[in-house]
Amino acid sequence: MAGLQVGVQKKGFVRGRQWPFHLALITSVLVIAFPLLYAALIATQTNAEIFSFRFTPGSALASNFDDVWVKREFSRAMWNSLQQSFWVTVGKTVLSLLAGLAFVYFRFRAKWFVFFFVLVTLMMPTEVMILAMFRLVSGFGWQDTMASITVPFIASATGAFLFRQHFANMPVELLEASQIDGATPFTFLTRILIPLSWNIIGALFVIQFVYTWNMFLWPSLIIRDDSAQVVQVAMQTLLNFGGALTFGPLMLAAIIASIPPALVFVVMQKPFMSGFVTAQDK
Amino acid sequence: MLISALVAAAAFGAAFFAKTPRHRKPRRVAVGAAVGLAAAAVVPGVMGPCGFAAEASQVDHVLFFGLMLTASWLALIVVRMIYDRADGAAPETASMTGEIRSGGFRTKPWVPWLLLSPTLLILVVFLYTPAVQTFTLATKLARLGAPNSIDVCLGNFSELLVADPVRVVAYPLVAVAAVYATSWWRRATSRETVSHRLAEVASTFAVLGIFVALYAVFSPGGDGQVAYRPVYVTTLIITVGTVATGMVGGLAIAYLAFRNIRGGGVYRTLLIWPYAISPTVAGILFFMIFDPTAGIFQYLAEAWFGIDVPNYRENAVLAQAAIILASGWKILGYNILFYLAGLQNVPTSQVEAAVIDGASVWQRFTKIVLPALSPITFFLLVTNLTYAFFEIYATIDFMTKGAPAGKTSVAIYEIIRVGVNNGDLGRGAAQSVLLFIAVIGVTLWQFRTSGERVTYGGAG
Amino acid sequence: MRSRSRLFSLFAVLGLVVAACGGGTTAEPEAPAEAEAPAGTAAGDGDVTTIGFWVAFSDEARLGFTKEKAAEFNAKYPEYNIEVTSFASYNDVFDAAVLAVDSGEPPGIIHFFEAATRQALDAVGADGQPIFKSVTEAIGGRDKILDEPVVLDSVVDAARNYYTVDGSFYSMPWNTSSAIMFSNTDMLEAAGVMEVPSTWAEVEAACEKVMAMPNAPAGCITWPNHSWFVEQSLGQQGELLANNDNGRSGRATEVYLTSDGMLDYVSWWKGLADKGYYTYTGVQRDWDGTANAFLAQEVAMLIYSSSDTTFLTNSGKEAGFDVQASFMPYNGEKEYVGNLIGGATLWLLNGMDKKAEDGALAFMNFFSNPENAAEWHRITGYIPITKDAEALLQSEGWYDESPNSKVASDQLAAAQNTPASLGALLGNFVAIRDIITIAIEDILVNDLDVAERMAQANVEANKSLAEYEALFGG
Repeated sequence: MAGLQVGVQKKGFVRGRQWPFHLALITSVLVIAFPLLYAALIATQTNAEIFSFRFTPGSALASNFDDVWVKREFSRAMWNSLQQSFWVTVGKTVLSLLAGLAFVYFRFRAKWFVFFFVLVTLMMPTEVMILAMFRLVSGFGWQDTMASITVPFIASATGAFLFRQHFANMPVELLEASQIDGATPFTFLTRILIPLSWNIIGALFVIQFVYTWNMFLWPSLIIRDDSAQVVQVAMQTLLNFGGALTFGPLMLAAIIASIPPALVFVVMQKPFMSGFVTAQDK
Repeated sequence: MLISALVAAAAFGAAFFAKTPRHRKPRRVAVGAAVGLAAAAVVPGVMGPCGFAAEASQVDHVLFFGLMLTASWLALIVVRMIYDRADGAAPETASMTGEIRSGGFRTKPWVPWLLLSPTLLILVVFLYTPAVQTFTLATKLARLGAPNSIDVCLGNFSELLVADPVRVVAYPLVAVAAVYATSWWRRATSRETVSHRLAEVASTFAVLGIFVALYAVFSPGGDGQVAYRPVYVTTLIITVGTVATGMVGGLAIAYLAFRNIRGGGVYRTLLIWPYAISPTVAGILFFMIFDPTAGIFQYLAEAWFGIDVPNYRENAVLAQAAIILASGWKILGYNILFYLAGLQNVPTSQVEAAVIDGASVWQRFTKIVLPALSPITFFLLVTNLTYAFFEIYATIDFMTKGAPAGKTSVAIYEIIRVGVNNGDLGRGAAQSVLLFIAVIGVTLWQFRTSGERVTYGGAG
Repeated sequence: MRSRSRLFSLFAVLGLVVAACGGGTTAEPEAPAEAEAPAGTAAGDGDVTTIGFWVAFSDEARLGFTKEKAAEFNAKYPEYNIEVTSFASYNDVFDAAVLAVDSGEPPGIIHFFEAATRQALDAVGADGQPIFKSVTEAIGGRDKILDEPVVLDSVVDAARNYYTVDGSFYSMPWNTSSAIMFSNTDMLEAAGVMEVPSTWAEVEAACEKVMAMPNAPAGCITWPNHSWFVEQSLGQQGELLANNDNGRSGRATEVYLTSDGMLDYVSWWKGLADKGYYTYTGVQRDWDGTANAFLAQEVAMLIYSSSDTTFLTNSGKEAGFDVQASFMPYNGEKEYVGNLIGGATLWLLNGMDKKAEDGALAFMNFFSNPENAAEWHRITGYIPITKDAEALLQSEGWYDESPNSKVASDQLAAAQNTPASLGALLGNFVAIRDIITIAIEDILVNDLDVAERMAQANVEANKSLAEYEALFGG
């Protein structure tokens, strides 16, 4: 948890008493954390306990967990989401590395056109073409498959440009030296570029993992079969347990669903920070 | 009608090149006219001259004419790019794409294509194809599972606008003219003069004028038109509210947390974690907090302040505020994160000099810190806008489902309601095109303002 | 040469990654998507014929029941494998089924709600063939399929009449309910209301008393803003929703949203809301929110689907109050014509081979045999779908034990058999329902004029219907 590098600076702007800042920061932390803490409380309660507004842990944590994890098979949705996030993250990293390599270390005809072709996709978010995309992907017979929620997302202009920018800032001598050693594009990529890009890869990993894990709209359209559903959408079925709204299981699911991205975020914090600072410096 | 539209397009093409001295050569002007004409002719060539058909409304005429001119304009931009490259006026391919000086590997020419092919394949199949299909779908009456579809030309668009062609043309034209005029005024006056200040204020209002013009152009409903104005207003309120809440809050907290204070690292980690939370979970958490039966918000308002808060889903202002709060909270972590990084680049020497000069905390903040943060503010503005346009869908779906009476149904929510829930693919696609135009507008504005900057994060 | 082979190996790796992403789930045995989408048309491995059964329930009780019965059927007939796949909503199943037919991997049995009946009848695949086949026609007069007696003839009249189109049962009725009222009698009695109100006027009178109590609840009555309740009220008042006898003597080509019955009902509703008697949860089709308000004793009465009779009765008991079910309140100034049904049926896919089709038909009849239909009723509150099941429940004494459960069946039996009380068969019904719901929300929330707003909705709805007819009417 203490791995956060960003903002740790030696010279604060304001000197003098510190306690007002502590007070303000603690307040901020509590305000930001409140929704989750409250959800954690609710997750332990039955509906009756919730309606009576008791602010002590309730009696239903185990049964709520059983409802969520076992009865509604939330574990399966978690597994689906994990697979999806893995494939998108890996796929996008590989494809972006290759595209960056081609843009920076090769000269070919119509390159400017290809560049623009990729650049223009920056203004083409999937959401604005979601209906056509739905028709297209269902036309492939991909509804309810892992392919439908991974393949369309494994390439992007942002990823390609991230590596392009990073490679462009590397010393030219790297290539010259490796060419003297007879390196092929492949060995150059694996032996030189990738080892020098771990921060960027790490940053891309965090961004992509969180982005994919949190995807809602597209899976809610293309995945209809509950057994193939991803976590974010699966939470919808937890709104109701045989009749009326049940808050406890829903809150518990919300918390469980947040664990993987939070974990990735915390574990990868260091490369993420330095990665995006590099990207920002340009 | 068709002939006059084509003539106009040709004239537009000629003027396009004639207006810049470098391109003002007879040959180029002629090419401009020809390209303008040809591109405009593509529209009726593909769709048929349906927008000018007898049964089409006058708004249809206007839109069809606008579409033809847009096609000309796009083609002319491409032609100008080619000329610019021929003149050597365009940025070098090498510097643009980041190519290294030596030109890199000398391999078979297909090798870079092979490296790029998976990326290009995905982009063509899953971005370009559906983008084109969105446009064609938008001109049809089509349903999922229906054996056939019916061409409706631009009817899906014109029914979103007021039925008066004069207003459809005049309001946007006036607004755009005002933007150009004020920016010309600003450039014509010298800095630090009263006139320049006035021009700056006026140009801000002119930009706001565009939003007012759009308000006037979208139909309030009735007369067989679709009430799109409420959707526009809702989208504007929720977008502005979310971005403002998230960014002001993010900056304030980041500025607070950016200090050499005991436990600073712990504070910072505890402040940025909502980055990893999904919009869905944000919706669920605030759904719980504000629930009229079981939520803590109403309970505490009653118990502590004796206020009987009405059900937020029944009250437009409360519902919008709840959505803004939930989504503002969710992007707070993201904004804090980037502002913390940005604050590292604030020149401390300047700050210390300002302290010696006796500047107040607020002065230091506005005169030194804010300007130094402007690149990151700009970057966040764009990513936050993207968030508020799209990701907010999940939050709304859990909290209000667009209630009350559509007052929280933003553009993306409306697209899904019309296109998926009602199965009306054509109308949904037409609304998608509007959102598409908005995104293109934001992106072009971004490119213009900051040159070419890599968007990073958000909808990767 | 060396460098080239390296390069190839790079792309071999890349190809694998892409292939793994792309084809992943169709190839990997553990992938969940593999488990579903069995072809109803194709025989499975060996002698076992797999028949997909797509259900729009995902809650434990209903989905659990379905899976249990499928397992029992599979055990009884080892040559068949009924495979249940669950979806979040009726619309989801419908869209998925249309797509599955186009892509050639449809299930054998699909679960659709009543409002989609016209659409299901009109649905054609990419080859232009109808997607579904009439169940009556498929049964072809047999009284037994495999070892399962055909129960189609025993289906209760309300459901039989609703789902019979052109003299034939196109789909097999399953979960069927009606709109009834649930009252918190403890609260009503505390307010001095001894008899559960049955007409609009009585509801208002009761609400006046309830709201006058010193510890009055937040509101008096609620129900979801769902077009289904509007349709129920039209049926009660004998008003048609659409022309051609509600679309039953010919295709409906016009909708009537400005009829007297419609305006009277919406005005009554708005009047209740204006007086603070009706609690609007603010969300359209808010089944959860309204039920919660009732169970949290924030209102005294709830108009709801009988499908949750068992749940509401038991939950009220747990929360410490008595729940009494009664007929949906009607307009006392008009003759009562009849309430209609709601719910869903099982549709048989067209183009299956004989063995698969018989398996699907046998399962449908097994699924609603008297024992199973009675059990289904006891778990949920949906009406017993066959007369045999009703008789069985009667003989078991279930209704004495649980009188609330009989209300929906009684209400449907009390209805006259007229086009108005059967309800409409309508294209684009889902979108038209949406238009009605939005208009009512607008009226309730924004305090608009009922006649004016409904006239606007009428224009929209007729446009929507005309467009549907243009696309499907042929």
